[in-house]
Order: sequence, then structure tokens, then C-alpha cells
Amino acid sequence: MTIATGPQVGVTLYAFTNEWLTRQFDLDGLLGEVAKRGLGPNIEIIGFQSFKEFPDVSDDFASYFKDLIAKHGLNAVSCAINSDRFMKPGQQPIDDADLVEYHKRQIRSAKKMGFKLTRSQFALPAHLLSELAPFCEDIEMPMGVEVHAPMWAGHPAVLEYREVYEKLNSPALGWIPDFGGTARAIPPSLLDAARAIGTPEALIDATKDIWQGAEASYVKAGKLRAFAQDKGYDQAHLQACTLAFFILSNNDPQSWAELVDRTIHIHGKFYGVNDEGVEEAIPYEDILPIFRDGGFTGTIVSEWEGHAYCAVDAFEQVRRHQAMCRRILAGEPVVAA
Amino acid sequence: MLPVERIIGEEGLEATERGARLAMRLPWYRSLPFSVVEVASVKLDGTDVDLTDAVVEFDDHSFPLAEIGEQTNAFWFVRDSAFLLLPQVALQKDESHEVSLLLKISPPYIPGMTRVNPMTATLTVA
Repeated sequence: MTIATGPQVGVTLYAFTNEWLTRQFDLDGLLGEVAKRGLGPNIEIIGFQSFKEFPDVSDDFASYFKDLIAKHGLNAVSCAINSDRFMKPGQQPIDDADLVEYHKRQIRSAKKMGFKLTRSQFALPAHLLSELAPFCEDIEMPMGVEVHAPMWAGHPAVLEYREVYEKLNSPALGWIPDFGGTARAIPPSLLDAARAIGTPEALIDATKDIWQGAEASYVKAGKLRAFAQDKGYDQAHLQACTLAFFILSNNDPQSWAELVDRTIHIHGKFYGVNDEGVEEAIPYEDILPIFRDGGFTGTIVSEWEGHAYCAVDAFEQVRRHQAMCRRILAGEPVVAA
Repeated sequence: MLPVERIIGEEGLEATERGARLAMRLPWYRSLPFSVVEVASVKLDGTDVDLTDAVVEFDDHSFPLAEIGEQTNAFWFVRDSAFLLLPQVALQKDESHEVSLLLKISPPYIPGMTRVNPMTATLTVA
């Protein structure tokens, strides 16, 4: 048995969204490719991305999946579930009881498939955690809420969750940091992708200005929409820029220290690791030592999200990202190319 | 066009005895309940198609497009096409038509976010 002595690396199949959507791989093929390239063994899978039967996976499919994992020598660590509370756009959210049951359905499926933990989302109101904690404890499936941009350790929603976490003190509840919340800038590759479809530089400048603010994502999106409508800019250009408000924010990287003790898993969000082994938008050199030195021994899954705006080789990006994480965790400096 | 922006499916446009059948792909990274998908418009050779009687087909089940907003427990698997059946549109095999589709999706865990996805393609009727 391997005894974890520090953070482990792994990958989420979400990084290969382009390859998945274009049907270049089926599930067996994609897991095989990850294994062949040595990007595992630890993996995360979004239930609603990779499993057609989600949220209610059959025994047969669960058995098939476990056989695939064994065949490829992988380790199914995390199943990302979704807190789909707003099922009818523009109407009231679904009932609390239905939302709790919706989570249980997904967690049961993840357990049956052999995953060790689940990822949830802040769309699950904090007052429902007390109903899910005993369930997660009983079936031994820790659930971590993803602290995703624009959230960060000091965000009101995180503070509200934190208060409940401390009150319940359940070993089955924790955090899953997503480093997109502490970016230093909008990824240059995202802005270049917007330019490539003809987005005017004035719209890009406005995006950068608005992104610096502390408002909610949809408020920033509304500001940019008003600006774009006033100037008569194209909807496609607006959408290319608006993406940044929903996936990245610029909070203090050191703030993760507040969450280390209850962190059960990590999304190593990234957009582009350059030839020198440095991520273009997120300061990994500042972030990873916080978790290493804080005693985190779970998995950091490489979560390349550049597929939201470009189509470079995701496998190569993940390889670079894992090498970068290992270098930083080992305390080694950047090596000039 | 990014893979996530593709909304006219690989299976294209088909003439059936029940009407024209258009393949659609979901413009998101994960499966979504049909209730958060809006088929905002379909144009055939530049002319709006009346969607009053349109039907959505996915695997072995179907429902009227008018009731898509109620489909909270029917999930569109992101890797598969759903099909829009247009009973009022009669096409002939091997004809070529310009199809414009406009889909809107509102991810059910991101309040306030709606993505607008247009796509136009010239398709040969199968």
C-alpha cells in the first residue's frame, strides 16, 4: 500500500472535453489514452459529462465502469456531481427536498462506481448540508463543495458554508478549491481567441477593466453587455469575452490557507503551461506550497479549461501541468527552456 | 468553431414520412435537463420555420417542443444528438438547404447565465 506523503497529481476527464464532444474517444478509449500517456492513475470524472445513465447509474453500468478502471490501472478518485437547483430558467428553484434527493441519487451512483468522493456546488444552499452530512457519512462518501470563481475563501457564500461546516464538524464535508478563483489575470490565450474571431480591442479592454471588479459574475456580464450594446458590438464577440467573468476571478492566492484543513480534493484549473513550465494566468508557485505545507495529501487533478475557447492538444497541456505541479511541490525553481 | 459551439448535429437533416428531422448537439460540456434548453428558432433557406408542432426526439422518447420547459428529469447526454422533428416541413432526399438554428441554454447551477448559440450550415437531405 502506498502511503501518501504529500499532494498527488491526477487528471479530470473534463480536460478532454474537446476530444469527448467530437467523439474522438469513447469512455474506454479515453481512459485508455490517459493511462497510456501516464496521466493517471488518479482521475476525476463529471458524472453528467461521461455517464449517459447519470444521475441514476444501473448496476450493470457501474460494474462495466469498474472493470474499465481496473483494466486501465486507474484510480477513480472523484466524481463531480451537479447542484442543479435552477431547473426552470426564470422560475423558482426546485424544492429543497427534491434538491437533496437529486444529490443523493448522484452520490449513490458515484459510490456504486467506486469513486472515493464527490464534488458538489454552491447552488446547494448551506442549510441543506445538515441533511446530506449523515447520508455521506453513512455511505462513506465525502462531499466537497467546489470553491470556484468568483468564490474564494473570503466570499460570503464560503463563509456561510464554513460556519455550517464548523457547526456540523462532519468528516464527510469539505472543500474542493478551484484555482480559477485566484488568477492574476484573464488568460492571454482566452483574449487571443476572442481577437481571432474579430473581437474589437475596445471590447477586450473593457472586459479586462470590468474583470478587476469585485461584483458577481452576472453583474460583470451585464456591465459588459450594456457596453457592447451601446457600441453595437457583435453577440459572438461579447460572449467570447463574457466567459472570463464566469471562470476566473482575481482574489488573493494566499487566502487558500484559510481552507486547507478541510480540503479533500483540488481542481488544478489551468489554461496554458508555457515552454518554461509556467501557467499563464494562475500563480501556482504561490498556491501549491500552501497546500503542501498545510498537510494536504489528496489529489490535485489537472483541469485544463482552454477547451472553452481553443482547441490545442489537451493531453500535452495536462502533461505540462502535471510536470509543473511536481516541480513546484518538490520545491524546484523554474528551468529556463 | 469550437466543439462546444456545434449545435447542428453530425447526422444532419433527414426527410422522413413524419416531416423533416434535424440533428442538434448540446452546446455545453455536460449533459443538461432539456428544461434548460430553448430552441429559439429554425430557419430553412432564410425563412423561419413554424415550430408550433415541432417534436423533440432523444433515444426512445419524444415530447412536444412546446413542453421542453417541463422536461426536468429528461437529460440530453452531451455526446449524443437530439433530433427536432418538423412535421410541417416536407423535404426531398438529396436536396440541399441552408439551415440556421438558434439554441439558448441556461445551466441549472449558474443563476443568471444564458448562452446563445447560433449556427448555420448547408446540408444535403438524407
